[in-house]
Amino acid sequence: MLRQVARRLMSNMPENTVYGGPKPQSPSRRVTLTHLRQKHRRGEPITVVTAYDYPSAVHIDSAGIDVCLVGDSAAMVVHGHDTTLPISIDQMLVHCRAVARGASRPLLVGDLPFGSYESSSSQAVDTAVRFLKEGGMDAIKLEGGAPSRITAAKAIVEAGIAVMGHVGLTPQAISVLGGFRPQGKTVTSAVKVVETALALQEAGCFSVVLECVPAPVAAAATSALQIPTIGIGAGQFCSGQVLVYHDLLGMLQHPHHAKVTPKFCKQFGHVGDAINKALSEYKQEVENRSFPGAAHTPYRISANDVDGFLNELQKMGLNEAATAAAAAAENVETAGRPSEDTC
Amino acid sequence: MSNMLENTVYGGPKPQSPSQRVTVNHLRQKHRRGDPITMVTAYDYPSAVHIDFAGIDVCLVGDSAAMVVHGHDTTLPISVAAAPSPVAPPARSSSATFLSAPTSPFPPRLMAGLAVDIAVRFLKEGGMDAIKLEGGAPSRITAAKAIVEAGIAVMGHVGLTPQAISVIGGFRPQGKTVASAVKVVETALALQEAGCFSVVLECVPAPVAAATTSALRIPTIGIGAGPFCSGQVLVYHDLLGMLQHPHHAKVTPKFCKQFGHVGDAIKKALSEYKQEVESRSFPGAAYTPYKISATDVDGFLKELQVMGLNEAATTAAAAAEKVETAGTPSEDAC
Repeated sequence: MLRQVARRLMSNMPENTVYGGPKPQSPSRRVTLTHLRQKHRRGEPITVVTAYDYPSAVHIDSAGIDVCLVGDSAAMVVHGHDTTLPISIDQMLVHCRAVARGASRPLLVGDLPFGSYESSSSQAVDTAVRFLKEGGMDAIKLEGGAPSRITAAKAIVEAGIAVMGHVGLTPQAISVLGGFRPQGKTVTSAVKVVETALALQEAGCFSVVLECVPAPVAAAATSALQIPTIGIGAGQFCSGQVLVYHDLLGMLQHPHHAKVTPKFCKQFGHVGDAINKALSEYKQEVENRSFPGAAHTPYRISANDVDGFLNELQKMGLNEAATAAAAAAENVETAGRPSEDTC
Repeated sequence: MSNMLENTVYGGPKPQSPSQRVTVNHLRQKHRRGDPITMVTAYDYPSAVHIDFAGIDVCLVGDSAAMVVHGHDTTLPISVAAAPSPVAPPARSSSATFLSAPTSPFPPRLMAGLAVDIAVRFLKEGGMDAIKLEGGAPSRITAAKAIVEAGIAVMGHVGLTPQAISVIGGFRPQGKTVASAVKVVETALALQEAGCFSVVLECVPAPVAAATTSALRIPTIGIGAGPFCSGQVLVYHDLLGMLQHPHHAKVTPKFCKQFGHVGDAIKKALSEYKQEVESRSFPGAAYTPYKISATDVDGFLKELQVMGLNEAATTAAAAAEKVETAGTPSEDAC
């Protein structure tokens, strides 16, 4: 008794502090920059996949992927545009929130969309803040390496927001690039990739995406940097890889549709084919009336209530409807009874 | 001769292309012939493309998006603003499918004018062909009538109406008592009277759905309502088994048959990707298409050394050699 009293009086014990002390570390904690740094140091490749909604986030979480990138590629793969340019901040935030709801373990990175951060550093910081505050992201990604971008990246880091850079092919700049063209294929361009990556590191970025550059250029950039590089179409010498969800799953690949998977993307599944097959079967089974059968018709009305119902229908003058209901009730009786409860 | 089509100011009507969009007339004809109508929900461009190619009659941009896309527990949180965004993408893809969108949860005191405004947005901004609204209270019937009078086709929805779970007390099947069953039929008739072109029957016993289908001239589209409806609808993710995989507890509704196991396929593909990235087998030569000429590599190495990045130069040289020996896949733009 005395010992208990003594313990209660000792305010430096975690149980006695005002805020209750730190929570115990649970095993399914979120991936952090520290984790990524450790992976990078150990030479273990970092995995990144894009996600745009709750189901994809759940899948990516369950698969143990390190980073979930809410990409502005949503403009193309979710909204069907030809470029990443049309998507707005508000649309991106809707995607971010849905992903945040589904992925509790991967690090969440949100793409700042075209037009939301290029005018000034303060515009960039404001947008980045929204992604964390309203979007539930852990970090943001921005494209490019012009001096104004480096300055913006620095300002965002100083605001306390982790920044992932992006060099090489930067899809938001296709107007200037003249299309989705690989970069770093000449000496000047290759040097620029390395220099820009270094500048972004200097500005405080925690990693840099290298998109569509030749492997030796990616290798050089990866070696020159202390922070990890995440490659896409940049060969195997990067610190990690990223692919677009729909592309790696073959989501839009099926006999009749011409959407092309980028050449650097391996299709690890043929989900589009599976979807097409499933939808065709559904259509077939509905049209030949085999779906829904008894197994998928779970809701019952008791025989007494059926009788009462038939009476009411007749009172309403709906005799045909009463006949139809009676026939259905009999049909359903003979077909057997699956168990039922709420929907 | 100005009465000839070619000579009119506007060039006359376009010739009917074979891949024309499904219309309410097509649905009426199907219904008359006794051919079941197929409907599936879609929420984005890829799902709309898939539904179009499978030849499904109607694409419903469901407020079930709140649950299957956004991960909420009910359909209530989704807003009109969020809705036209997923609504528009299907419109961009579908050439043959009829597009129908549910109007988002109405404010408690529903006014017909407000309902019309929202419905107009779905057609104007969302590219839909029609809208769906839930329920059969007098105010809803009035709203449906006002929307039809505004020139917008309306699909009704009775039985379990997910937006009303607060009043219903959860996702509970309806029409299981005499009074409730009669109400389903009466409400459906009232919606037909108001001008609806079809009515969804959700989670009611088969005999009740059969009676309703028989009593109506317009088609009924069932979900969890048995085989006696004029057509069927299912949620995309449910029918594909999108969230069914060993570790995730999301349960497919009992009335929904899983026509695929896409969730399993996705999980498998993502695990393989992770494995191949971590073992550095992806990307191999086949997926590393972009080249830099030997001359430019030399120039690059020199520049790196000038910059004092000797390690980077060594790494680049090694990479270039490795890539050379691995072979050269063809290349062009990304």
